[in-house]
This record gives sequence, C-alpha cells and structure tokens, in this order.
Amino acid sequence: MISADLNIVLPELILAVYAMGALMFAVYTGKDATAPLILGSTAALMAALGVWIAISGSGAATAFGGAFIDDGFSRFAKVIILLSAAAILLMSQSYMERIGILKFEYPILIALATVGMMMMVSAGDLMALYMGLELQSLSLYVIAALHRDDQRSTEAGLKYFVLGALSSGLLLYGASLTYGYAGTTLFSGILETISDGKMPIGLLLGLVFLFAGLAFKVSAAPFHMWTPDVYEGSPTPVTAFFATAPKVAAMALFARVAHDAFGTVTADWTQIIALLSVVSMFLGAIAAIGQRDIKRLMAYSSIAHMGFALMGLAAGTMFGIQAMLIYLAIYVVMNIGTFAFILSMERDGQPVTDIDGLHQYSKAEPLKALALLVLMFSLAGVPPMVGFFGKFYVLQAAVDADLAWLAVAGVIASVIGAFYYLRIVYFMYFGEERDAIQTPMNAYNWAALVGAAVIMVAGVVNLFGVEALAAAAAETLVN
Amino acid sequence: MPSIILFAPLVGALICGFGWRIIGEKAAMWVATGLLFLAALLSWIVFLGFDGQTQQIQIFRFIESGTLSTDWAIRLDRLTAIMLIVVTTVSSLVHLYSFGYMDHDPQWREGETYKPRFFAYLSFFTFAMLALVTSDNLVQMFFGWEGVGVASYLLIGFYYRKPSANAAAIKAFIVNRVGDFGFALGIFGLFFLVDSISFDEVFRAAPKLAETNLTFLWTEWNAANLLAFLLFVGAMGKSAQLFLHTWLPDAMEGPTPVSALIHAATMVTAGVFLVARMSPLYEFAPEAKTFIVYLGAATAFFAASVGLVQNDIKRVIAYSTCSQLGYMFVAAGVGVYSVAMFHLLTHAFFKAMLFLGAGSVIHAMHHEQDMRNYGNLRKKIPYTFWAMMIGTLAITGVGIPLTAIGFSGFLSKDAIIESAYGAATPAGNFAFWLLVSAAVMTAFYSWRLMFMTFYGTERGDKHTHEHAHESPRTMLVPLGVLAIGAIFSGMVWYNDFFGKTSAVETFFGMEQTAKAESSHASLSLIGAANAAENGKEEPSSSHDGEKKAAAEPGKGAIYRHPDNTVLDDAHYVPKWVKVSPFIAMLLGFLGAWVMYIRRPDWPAKLAENQRPLYLFLLNKWYFDEIYDAVFVRPAKSLGSFLWKRGDGSVIDGALNGVAMGIVPFFTRLAGRAQSGYLFTYAFWMVLGIVFLVSWMTIRGGAI
Amino acid sequence: MGELLGNYLPILVFLGIAIGLGLVLLLAAAVIAVRNPDPEKVSAYECGFNAFDDARMKFDVRFYLVSILFIIFDLEIAFLFPWAVAFKDVGLLGFWSMIVFLAVLTIGFAYEWKKGALEWE
Repeated sequence: MISADLNIVLPELILAVYAMGALMFAVYTGKDATAPLILGSTAALMAALGVWIAISGSGAATAFGGAFIDDGFSRFAKVIILLSAAAILLMSQSYMERIGILKFEYPILIALATVGMMMMVSAGDLMALYMGLELQSLSLYVIAALHRDDQRSTEAGLKYFVLGALSSGLLLYGASLTYGYAGTTLFSGILETISDGKMPIGLLLGLVFLFAGLAFKVSAAPFHMWTPDVYEGSPTPVTAFFATAPKVAAMALFARVAHDAFGTVTADWTQIIALLSVVSMFLGAIAAIGQRDIKRLMAYSSIAHMGFALMGLAAGTMFGIQAMLIYLAIYVVMNIGTFAFILSMERDGQPVTDIDGLHQYSKAEPLKALALLVLMFSLAGVPPMVGFFGKFYVLQAAVDADLAWLAVAGVIASVIGAFYYLRIVYFMYFGEERDAIQTPMNAYNWAALVGAAVIMVAGVVNLFGVEALAAAAAETLVN
Repeated sequence: MPSIILFAPLVGALICGFGWRIIGEKAAMWVATGLLFLAALLSWIVFLGFDGQTQQIQIFRFIESGTLSTDWAIRLDRLTAIMLIVVTTVSSLVHLYSFGYMDHDPQWREGETYKPRFFAYLSFFTFAMLALVTSDNLVQMFFGWEGVGVASYLLIGFYYRKPSANAAAIKAFIVNRVGDFGFALGIFGLFFLVDSISFDEVFRAAPKLAETNLTFLWTEWNAANLLAFLLFVGAMGKSAQLFLHTWLPDAMEGPTPVSALIHAATMVTAGVFLVARMSPLYEFAPEAKTFIVYLGAATAFFAASVGLVQNDIKRVIAYSTCSQLGYMFVAAGVGVYSVAMFHLLTHAFFKAMLFLGAGSVIHAMHHEQDMRNYGNLRKKIPYTFWAMMIGTLAITGVGIPLTAIGFSGFLSKDAIIESAYGAATPAGNFAFWLLVSAAVMTAFYSWRLMFMTFYGTERGDKHTHEHAHESPRTMLVPLGVLAIGAIFSGMVWYNDFFGKTSAVETFFGMEQTAKAESSHASLSLIGAANAAENGKEEPSSSHDGEKKAAAEPGKGAIYRHPDNTVLDDAHYVPKWVKVSPFIAMLLGFLGAWVMYIRRPDWPAKLAENQRPLYLFLLNKWYFDEIYDAVFVRPAKSLGSFLWKRGDGSVIDGALNGVAMGIVPFFTRLAGRAQSGYLFTYAFWMVLGIVFLVSWMTIRGGAI
Repeated sequence: MGELLGNYLPILVFLGIAIGLGLVLLLAAAVIAVRNPDPEKVSAYECGFNAFDDARMKFDVRFYLVSILFIIFDLEIAFLFPWAVAFKDVGLLGFWSMIVFLAVLTIGFAYEWKKGALEWE
C-alpha cells in the first residue's frame, strides 16, 4: 500500500531527497564554492526527471487516498515545469556569478520550489494543494530576496511574501468554506456533493475565495499587483524563473481545481475566469506600454499572456484545456528565449534592463536581433510565428464555447499589446544612435535564445506534436 | 508544333526582358525577333496544312478545384489557325520594324536602355494573344485576355515620362475592366449553368441554355441571351465598341509599332474572335446578336464620322480601326462569322500596314504627328507613299464591282455589307445603311489622310521638311510584306470565307450540310469568283440538307444554326446592293479630292459654316466629356470624400484617438495604480475579491 | 436553582483562593521586600528594549532569526503532542512518518547550524 503510493510519487521524492542531500553536502563541504556543481547537477536531475516522466508515464493513478493524482494532465505540466526550470538554471549561472550571488542555496531552492509545483499539479485534495502551493511559494519568496544586499531585491521578496500571505489567507478561507459545505477536502468528494450541478451559496463563496488565491499565483488582474515590482526587483534569473515554471504550475492547478473539484458547475466558474481573463489581457496590454524597463515590461507581458491562457480555461471545455496547455507550452519557450537575451544585457559590465539600450542593436548583433525579433513577433502573436497559433487556439476555444465577446476582447487586447513588443523591434532596427549595450552570451544563453527563435518559426509546421499531446492531457482532466 | 508557336514568344520575352544584361542588347532583340519569325513560319505551315478538323493538344493540368477541372490545352481549329497567322505574322513584322522605329527614340536619354524592354513587352504580348486564341476553355481565354490587357497597358505607357502616355495607359486599363467585368460575369454564369468552362461542354449545352431562364439583377432572362450579352460586353471593351471605345484613340500615345500590332491588327480583334469562337452560343441567342448588329453598325458610323475631322495621323487610323471593328461585329451579329473573320484577317494586313506606314511618316518627320504640318511628302518618302497608297486602296475597298477581284478590303467589306442586307432583318437593314454611309466616310478620311500627307504644299516646320528622309530597310521590308497581304489576301481566301456555304463549311471543318455542293469547293481564285453566281440554283436543296443535318454545336470552328442562311442569302442580294459600297467609295474619294486637292480652302470654310457639327465631331461626340461628367467626376468626388472624410477623419481619426488618446490615458492610470506601496496592492486584491464575491452573490452563481 | 449554582461552587472556591493568594503576595512584597530602587530597576523590561520608544528603531536582526527558528521547533512540539497522544493508534506507519518529519527538520537545523545562524557573533 504505502510502497505503491511512494512509487507513484517517486519523481517528487527523488527531487526532494536530492534537494536535502545536496543541501547537507554543500553546507558541510565548500559552501558557495560548490554552487556551480550543485547548479549543474540540479539542472541535470530535473531535466532527466522531465524526460523520464515524458517517456515512462502512462495511465492514471492516485496515491495517498486520492490526495495525489498522477495522470496525463499532470505529467504534461510536470514535463514543462521540470524542463523549463532546468533551462532557467543553466541560463542563470553566468549572471549570478557576475553579480556575485551564486549561492548554493539557489539551485536547491529552485529544486524545492519545483517539488512544490509538481505537488500542485498533482494535487487531488485541498490540503495537498495547499502544501504544494506553500512549498513553492516559500521557496520563491526566498529566492526573490536572494540578492540580500540589494534593496530592491529584498523589497521584492518582502512584497511578494506579504501579499502571498494575504492570498494564501484568501485561499485557505476558501478551502475552509469549501470543506465546511462539502464535508470533504478531496476534489473527487467535492465533485460528488455537487454532482447535481447545484451549488450551495457557501460553496460558491468558497470557490470564489479559492480562485482569488489561485489568481494571485498566476498573477491575474486584479490580483497581479505584486508582479511588476517583484519581477523588477528580483535578480533577473529569478524573474525568468517566476515567469515560466510557477505560471505553468499555477495555471495547471487552476485547471485542476476547476475541473476536478467543480467540474459539474462550469457555468459558475467560467464567468469568474472569463472576467479575470479579460481584465488581465487588457491590463497587461495597456500598462506595459508605459514601461521602459524590460523586466517590468515582461511582467505585464506575462499578465496579459496569463489572461489568454485563462481564456482557454474559461471556455470550460476539453478543447479549452488543450488550448490552454498549448498556450502555456509556447509561452514558456518564448519566455525562456526572451529572458536568455535579457540576462545578457549589460553596459560597461553592469547588467541593465532599460529598453533604450536596444537602439540600433541590429547593427551590432544582427543574428541576436533577428532572434529577438522573432520572439517579439511571436509574443505579440504575429502570424506565422508559433505564438500566433497559441492565441489562435485559445480564441477558437472561446468562440466554440459561445464566448465570442471574450475572443473579440482578446483580439483587441493583443492588438494593443503588439505595440510594446514591436516597439522593441523598432528600436533594434530603426532606432536612433544611443548609448549602446553589449550582450555577451555563453553557450547556454545563446542556444536558448536562438533555439527558442528557431522553434517559434519551425514549429509552424506541426507545433512539434504538442497539439496531440495537449489533447491527450486535456482528455485525462476533462471527462 | 502549336506548342512551339505558343511558347516561343514567351521564351523570347523572358530571354529578352531578363537576359539582355547577359547576352547584350542587340542579341536579346534578335532572339525575340527570331523566335517570332520561327513562330510565324510554323503558323503558316499549320494554317496551310490544316484540314479543318478540330484538335486538342493538352499541355498540363491547369485548375483542379471542386467541379472546376480544366487542362491547359491548345484548341486547334480553323479559327485558331487564322488567328495564329494574323498574330504571329503581324507581330514578327512589327518586331522587325521596331528595330528601325525605336532606334534613337527622343523620349530617352543617351545611353539609356529601353529597346530590350520594348521587345520583351512585344513578345510577351504576342504570347498572351496566342494564349487567348489557342485557348480550349474560358478561363484559359480569360488568362490570355488579361495578359494582352497587361501588355497593352505596359506598351501604351511605354513612354512613362510622358504624363499623357501614363494617363492613356490607365484609361485603357480601366475601360477594359468594365468590359472584363462583363466577360467574367459571363464565364461565371456559364460555369454556374453548365458546370464546366471547357468550350466543348459549353457548346454542347448551348441549345439547352436557350431554353433556360436565369435570374440576374432585377428579373429573369433567357440564359443564352444573357450570357451571350455578358460575353459581348467583354468583347466591347477589348474591341473598343461604342460606349467602351474611348480608350482606343488615347492608346495612340504608345509607340507606333504598338499601335500597329495591338491596337489595329490583333488585340482589338479579340472581341470579334470571342464572338466567333462562341458562335454556338450566339446562334442560340438571337436578341444578343441583334444587339451586336446595332452596336457594331453604330460604332462603324460613329467612328468613321469622328475620323473625318481628326488631325493627328494616328488618331485618324485609330478611329478607322474602331470603325472597321464595327463592320466585323455587324458580320458576326448577322451570323456570318466567317465573314467577320475574313474582314479581321484582311484588316489585320492593311491596317497594320497603314499604321506602320504612318509610323514611317512620323519617323521621317521627326515624330511630328499632326497632318496639318505634313504635305507633299510623296517624293521624299516614295516607298512609304506607295505602301500607304496600297493600304488606302485596300481599306477604301477598291476593286472591280460584281467580281471577286480587288484589294483585300474590297472583298471583305463588301461581303459584310452584302451580308447585312442579306440578313433581311430590321437590324440588318439599319446596319446596311449605316455601313454604306460609313464607307463613304471611310473613303473620305482615308483619302484626306493621303492628300494631306503626300500631296499639296509643304506645311509646318521647314527644317523638318528639309530633313525628311526615307526610313531604313528594317522598316520598309515589313511594309512590303504587308502590302502583299493587303492586295491579295482578299482574293486568295474569298471562297473560303465567303464562298458557297459548303466551301466555307469545309474550310471551317463544320459538318457538311449539303453534300452535293462539296464537289464545287475549291481553293482556286477563279472558282471563287464564280462561286457567288453558281450558288443561285442551290438554295432550296441546301436548306433541306441543313435541316436534316442539324449539326451538333461545337463540331467545327464555327457553328451555324440550321435556320441561319444569311451566308447563302448574301449572295443573292440585288445588284445595286452589291455595287453600293463601290459607289460609296467613289463618293468619298471625290469628296476628299475636291476638298483637299481641288479647293483646299473649302474644309476651313465648311468648318466655319457648320461649326456646331464640326466641334461635335472634333470632340468625338463629346463622349469623353460626358463620361467625365457622369462617371469620372462623381467617382472622384466620392473617392475623395471617402478618402478625406471616411478614411482620414473617421478611420484614421478613430484609430489615432484610441491609440494616442485613450490607450495612453489608461496606461497612465495603470501606472498610477502601481504605486509601489504594499497597502495599495493589498487594497486592490481586497477590492477584487469583494467585487467577485458580490458579483457571484448577486448573480447567484450559474446564469 | 440551588443545584445549578452548586455546580459552580468549585469556581467560587478557586476565585476565593486566587484573590487571597494575590493579596498575600502583594502585601508580602510590600511588607518584607528590601526597597532600593534605581531607574534601571523600575523601568519595564522586554527583551532588552525600552518598552516605550519609537517603533521604527534599529535593532539586531539576530533577534528575529532566533525567534523564527524558535517558532519552527515550537510548532514541531505542537505537532508532536497529538502524535504522542495517538501513538498507540497510528502504529508503525505513524512512527516512521514522524521520524521522517523529524529528519527533515533536523536537516534544516543542521543547515542553519553550519551556516552559522546560531552564532551570536
């Protein structure tokens, strides 16, 4: 019994034990001197786990009395989480070394956050959900403030922590209301109590609070306020991490709760999510226009993108989930590529994040400028880049679900949002002569930037088969 | 072989247009010209060796879409063969001619390369024209149709530094769009009803179309009539018939070889060719045919009347072309398609020659085109003079009345006039009288041209006259070749086009309606002369034969409805009818002689006396002015309204307002909300949850 | 009525004893104690800080560190109590679960120890 359960959670177990082992190893030997080693091994282990899950996983199983679910949906999310986390780790090494904060805790905290995220996407119980969420969040609070000597980094960590605590409070309140009215914390149990499609008002309130807490994690407006400040203040590799894996985990968890626990009352929650979606899209698009700092810009960008991903969820259909998963996979690749570039931006050896430095960049580095152009076009959703197809899928899902107004709003928002992506392209190619930046890159970052750009173009052919995988994953979540 | 004829000009155009940088200017021009001469040679072989049986040569799959499935194929029948020789012969001669004419063009600066471009356009035009005439289905034909339109546009606007040339090119293109729209509608309609665009299918379905009704615009129409009319609208545009003719005179802005090739001999006859090609359809569309007769006759009259007073040598010939095209349409409209094609063939020779001759004059006079500045050039450019003289004799129709001996125009034009009378319908009679009066005017303006140019006193710039010189040999050789055609083409093929019914039917590969007659059919010159008289005994028997046969549409190159006996009847018109065109020619000649040789002061006086009429004619019946007022100005003002108000104020204004006013406003608002203070953020979160909770509570969950 | 009030009698007794004890202690201090006051002695005492001062003052972050570390082990005890009470029922699985929990906690403790978080200077 217990051994069968442990077998199901083996990937999480391995990563958790590894994290503790690595912690002991590092603290008893060379401390920060071992950081590159730990970073490399962590990335390698996460990548290996990701590949392992992708290859070996099949079927659906539950562990610990239904609190942990291992199915196609969770595996799809876990593979993205693990691979993107590994990629971000590799990309961050040189940056962390340059500003002198390559501490051995950094990869371990990322590993622990990743364990939390894996828990989240596999959660089948409100308590498991909360546990995963907090494991992830607490790790993220700490790495947000990793640059202890930097005022903004600590400020970011503190803000994130305080607001995160508030959101956790909301979520817990929702969970307790749900428990109070459903009499169980198991998702399957909650679903059973509302199997007739009728929601008691208390459960409805519980749902709202739960979703509010989750909306904070995916930084959906109006629970997004932390995002720009935290993105800007955190060390750039941490920002890159925030923008990728945790977003996927939180979105997957969102979908998990919505469908596994409240799958019979889609009409109730789709309106909440549609609302969050439309506000996020517009806020992300409009607020980013005023930003000159590329990290803040990416913060708003990710708010807008989460709005789009939520659109898929708002459809409340299987195709909607499929569209959302495709969107997330594409989003993560685009962000990895873009942050690979942002990580390398510097002027006179100092990292910079001001987009003014990009003026006339194409003259100095035509290839990188081209790669960034492709990524910006893709982020903006310009056909034929892959980013367009992500948007296309969610829009189609929305239209199919009779949410045409949402789709129209999404199109308008993406048109507005295209402005700031294209402005970067404009600066690079048609800008005036300014104080230029340099972008020295190591092989990892270069590969991430160019690779992501190539994927954005080459993926047009068949999206590398993600479509079918996402469909299979969505099928396991929505019956 | 037909494939080589079709694609040789295309190859020539490509090599000449893109390859001249590699192989050199001269070589490129010779390649294009050489390939065309090859095509011309092969065309003659095809034409002379052709047995009248329709062949289809498939080249490749063209379109595969739903039920629309067609090949790119060459349909080789008599019509195609005729058009092949017309197009390739005139085109190859024009290529040759252009060596001389386009040399040292004053439009271009020293060292500029323009000749390969010109030759490439000419060759491309030839390819498109051949594609048009060899097509096996309507879409392929439309392709060629538009291809010649593009080539025409490029060549009219060849002197792109001249604003007037650009305007003329655009005008030609736009006026043709009107016609092409009708043509396209006709194709759509045919495809809609027949579910195919291949000629074979369409022809087979023609009898059925005559019994079908089709709703179009506000009411129901007979399908055959409607479709035939729509196709004719396309022909009207291309062939510059009344109401859509305005572009042709302006097209004279192009270089003269272009006028000769495109705007006299080939492209403008595409409309006639279309009607002849679609003869199985037209035979079942009597109302459409009647309309064609009226419009063709009106065009012939109108254009000839305008031609009377024009002073630009090329414009005179342009109106002449327009007028002659009217003749052809009358022939097609009364149902003698062979006669229409006959005139098309002879006209191609003499009109091309007239244009090339005019070009030679212009060349000699240093690009002076106003006839008022010519005079007494007979001695200075004798070869050109004789060529022009032959052309004039041909177009005015000089020949021996009541025989088949005469210049080519004499035979073909008289055939048309006789057919019009022979049709014995109100439309035919109307056409007969208009055509005869047009013949008077034709003779008048043609001789007027001759007298003003080659006789009388030298007028205009003395210096120019002193330096007037005969053109180089490359320009004279084409004139000579065309002169042979202008003299003999009528007599040689008279019997084939306008002989006895059986002869014509053999020639065009139609099913024999009267077997007895076939023995008489011969290609000999003398036999042709007798054909008209011999036909007398046959009418009753041949009528019976036709009824029995009731040939299937689409069997031969052209189709004749069993009830259509115009070709026969035309041979039995009264003598006075047969002589009337000759008389008309004499009247016109005398008029011109009196006015321009005997009493050169009369024209000015007449213009003074009849000022309103003179101005009416000089301004081409005010068509341009009326179109300008009715179509161009309203369209322009609507356009500028939509542009300034609609596009500028409403659309741009709204977009700019949103992009530069509303969005930045919200951006600033969002920026202000992002205060950086924790309590603000927490406050927003609380606001959010309060809103969501109230929303859900008030809405009560599921809607 | 009497019965109801009778139920509360022990509380009344407790109340009496509490009041009495309080009075005794207060009076004893007043009667027996040696009085030799100085400013430091009479000031309120809390973790070495002035009780009434500007809230936004600087003090050593180590105080927080210690208190946070304390809270972790404090909560650990809170978790151990119910476990100990139900020890008989949770069986071997429960035992090993708690051992794993403690091991994880110990790893954290070892980390902070080696990191030097427990050293004051």
